[in-house]
Amino acid sequence: MSTDHTGRAESLPSVPSIDDPRPHPPLTEHFNTGTATDPDVGARETSSLTVDGEEVSVGEEATIIDALGEVGADEELSALCYYDREDTDRIGPRSECRTCMVETDEHGLVPSCSHPAEDGMAVRTDSTEAEEARSVNLDLVLSDHNLRCTTCGKNGRCELQDAAIEADVEVPRYGVFDDRDEYEPIDESSPFIQIDRNKCILCNRCVEACNDVQVEGVLRIEGSGPDTRIGFQNGADEMMDSTCVSCGHCATVCPTGSLVEQDYTDAATIPVPGFTQENSIGETIGEDYDGQPNPATPMKGNQTYEDDALDGEADDE
Amino acid sequence: MVGTEAATTPAIRVAVGSAEYDRASAVLEAAREAAADVRVVETGPTGAAALAPVMLATADGRTAVHADVSPDRARELVETLDDGELPTDDAHAVVESDEGVPMPETGPLAAGQRRVLARCGWAAPAALDESLAERARDDPDDLREGVAGAGLLGRGRGDGHTDESIAEGWETARESDGEAVVVVNGNESDPAVDGDRLLLESRPAEVLDGALAVAAAVEATDVVVYLNEDDELAARRVREAVESVDAGGTEIDVVAGPDRYIAGEMTMALEAMEGADRLEARLRPPGPSEVGLYGRPTVVHTPRTLAQIRAFVAAPDEFETSAADPGTRLLTVTGDGVAGPATVELATDTALTEAVADGEEYKMACVGGRFGGITRSLDVPASAPALTGARLGTEGGVELFDGATCALEFAGARAKFAREANCGRCVPCREGSKQLVELLRDVYDGQFQPNELRELSRVVAESSTCEFGQAAPRPVTTAIDTFEREIAAHAEGRCPSGVCMETN
Ligand code: SF4
Ligand code: SF4
Ligand code: SF4
Ligand code: FES
Repeated sequence: MSTDHTGRAESLPSVPSIDDPRPHPPLTEHFNTGTATDPDVGARETSSLTVDGEEVSVGEEATIIDALGEVGADEELSALCYYDREDTDRIGPRSECRTCMVETDEHGLVPSCSHPAEDGMAVRTDSTEAEEARSVNLDLVLSDHNLRCTTCGKNGRCELQDAAIEADVEVPRYGVFDDRDEYEPIDESSPFIQIDRNKCILCNRCVEACNDVQVEGVLRIEGSGPDTRIGFQNGADEMMDSTCVSCGHCATVCPTGSLVEQDYTDAATIPVPGFTQENSIGETIGEDYDGQPNPATPMKGNQTYEDDALDGEADDE
Repeated sequence: MVGTEAATTPAIRVAVGSAEYDRASAVLEAAREAAADVRVVETGPTGAAALAPVMLATADGRTAVHADVSPDRARELVETLDDGELPTDDAHAVVESDEGVPMPETGPLAAGQRRVLARCGWAAPAALDESLAERARDDPDDLREGVAGAGLLGRGRGDGHTDESIAEGWETARESDGEAVVVVNGNESDPAVDGDRLLLESRPAEVLDGALAVAAAVEATDVVVYLNEDDELAARRVREAVESVDAGGTEIDVVAGPDRYIAGEMTMALEAMEGADRLEARLRPPGPSEVGLYGRPTVVHTPRTLAQIRAFVAAPDEFETSAADPGTRLLTVTGDGVAGPATVELATDTALTEAVADGEEYKMACVGGRFGGITRSLDVPASAPALTGARLGTEGGVELFDGATCALEFAGARAKFAREANCGRCVPCREGSKQLVELLRDVYDGQFQPNELRELSRVVAESSTCEFGQAAPRPVTTAIDTFEREIAAHAEGRCPSGVCMETN
């Protein structure tokens, strides 16, 4: 419906010239993480609610999953992309997997990891709709996952594997990602971290670890729709061409075998001769890598002293 | 400059919209060259693309509507009017009226009513009869209370309050911390939904005036008009209107986002405006009216919503406040047998059949834009609750399909669009749309699993983050419910419409 001869003087800007009142523009503002600026999703005040009939009180900033945790009802959910550990305030909730759906009287089905807890709310984890949604969404995650656990470096310490076992998934409805022609080559360019995007669930933890915790600005989300993937902010195709400093934080937070420290890539695999993760995919990139344009340093975890210069740099504004 | 037109002098109006830009511009130029005494006014489009280029000749209380006008014909018409005679020969219609685009007995201008559309194709785009923003600045409480009392609902997927009370959104914005912003979301890339583009090209001054009135109501300091980068004519006209309206101290910015379907979603619009190099939806709640552009409370309205607000302030008595969805809705009719997209206006208690011209035959209609619902019958009122109750969409698009359309092929095409065009953020939409396509493909391989399709559709609709995923399965579910046997026949190797078995 457009014409290109409508006598337009000049093209419009994409960004309005209006005030950005945020008191401290985020430190990471110059990073192109590819991700949306989500609002704060936590509750504004303390609240009392019921979870499967049990009364619970939670404080400010709480989302529903905190209330579930109070009564142990979070055990019912996979809550796959939720990161409930020391860096919680800087990582997540990404709320992308939707395996944490619960039913509320007030709003119907909501993702418990990112919906604010509200006073008087009645939450149910066991409604048919909520159970169906969690189960279908977990199967949808698996449908895009190369489920070759036996050759995976995270076998036995993988959150997706745990979730699938806990949810008693026997045969995922939509199968698993098992098409050699469609696999992305494994990125072996970095001597410290291996990337296998065929195992990535796009939880964004690595991006937040790299940008918001380490303040390195290496990783991002790129593409859209079926082409959405983890990429590098400097546009590199391979990790070794990125600005990665090999701190390893991304691999630490990755729930799956998508980012694995090279020392561990074969650590948990079952030793079947000739059957390794590389040949399960069939293709790798970066194996012959020998240039080092960026100051890649040994992984922090491999260094002998803990409080190294990089940590200082990360905190240095 | 607030334009006014003396209705009594003979006048020629040439409707110039982006769809007919070159042809209509040539007509306008010819008319201007030929005119001696008559006034020649460049207006925006009328909404009836089939008639374009349209020229209206008015004299002595009568208006002749001329359709498909050539530059030569334009000269003749102007000369006739200059000679003091209304040119009625070969007119599409001649109507006893000199106020607003007349409504003939038949043809695309005959459908529904013209309230919001009254001056589309009639007034110069930058002209404004009455500033409602001024009234709102004098008495913002009156506007707020009026709109709250009437229960006006937001219109279109790009609105911050689609099919929900806009007054509640205003209250939220007023109660939230920070200086509020009003965003006019005019970025709609769905070719089957043209109401917002029509208003931006025809009535930009009214759209801006409506936005300024909302700004007064919510005490916003800024109005940002967000267009589609391909809508060049709308951009030019909006900028001209910015020069002509009295903003009363409110800052107005005009910006453009990408020509992508997702760029019209309210939070992806905000992302685009904040300069994101990749668009994805934001989590909600809290929604934009609490935390929006740069964290400021942001009231997002489509041009269609703003036009309703203006219509309400201008004539509150015409709004049935007891109705669940008072006012009118703009619907664009496109598809098989439709000569050209026609954007018409229906009161919300009027059936959609009114939007379709007599003799337009169809096997099925998709109501509600790209992710609308499939139906055999348009005998459904145009109100949001009625459409939703009939499992149709409220986007404002009615696409007609004739017997040569296969319901399965149609559903598959819409599911593929969902698979390719989603932002990629959430699993139900990103992965669910892939599996919807796969399950539909399985039908061609002999396996039709309606329950699996329904289960998946349910979960995608109920657990996706934004309206894209929430609406995406609708063409599939409504196609299954309406044409179950036709779809099942494909599993036996037969396409009853005879269109898709050879290719699959
Ligand atoms: S190892 Fe590299 S990519 Fe990973 S968090 Fe550290 S700097 Fe970022
Ligand atoms: S690489 Fe790992 S941490 Fe990063 S998005 Fe994928 S699954 Fe999540
Ligand atoms: S519903 Fe679709 S478009 Fe919306 S956030 Fe999810 S993936 Fe993106
Ligand atoms: S854990 Fe809530 S959406 Fe992933």
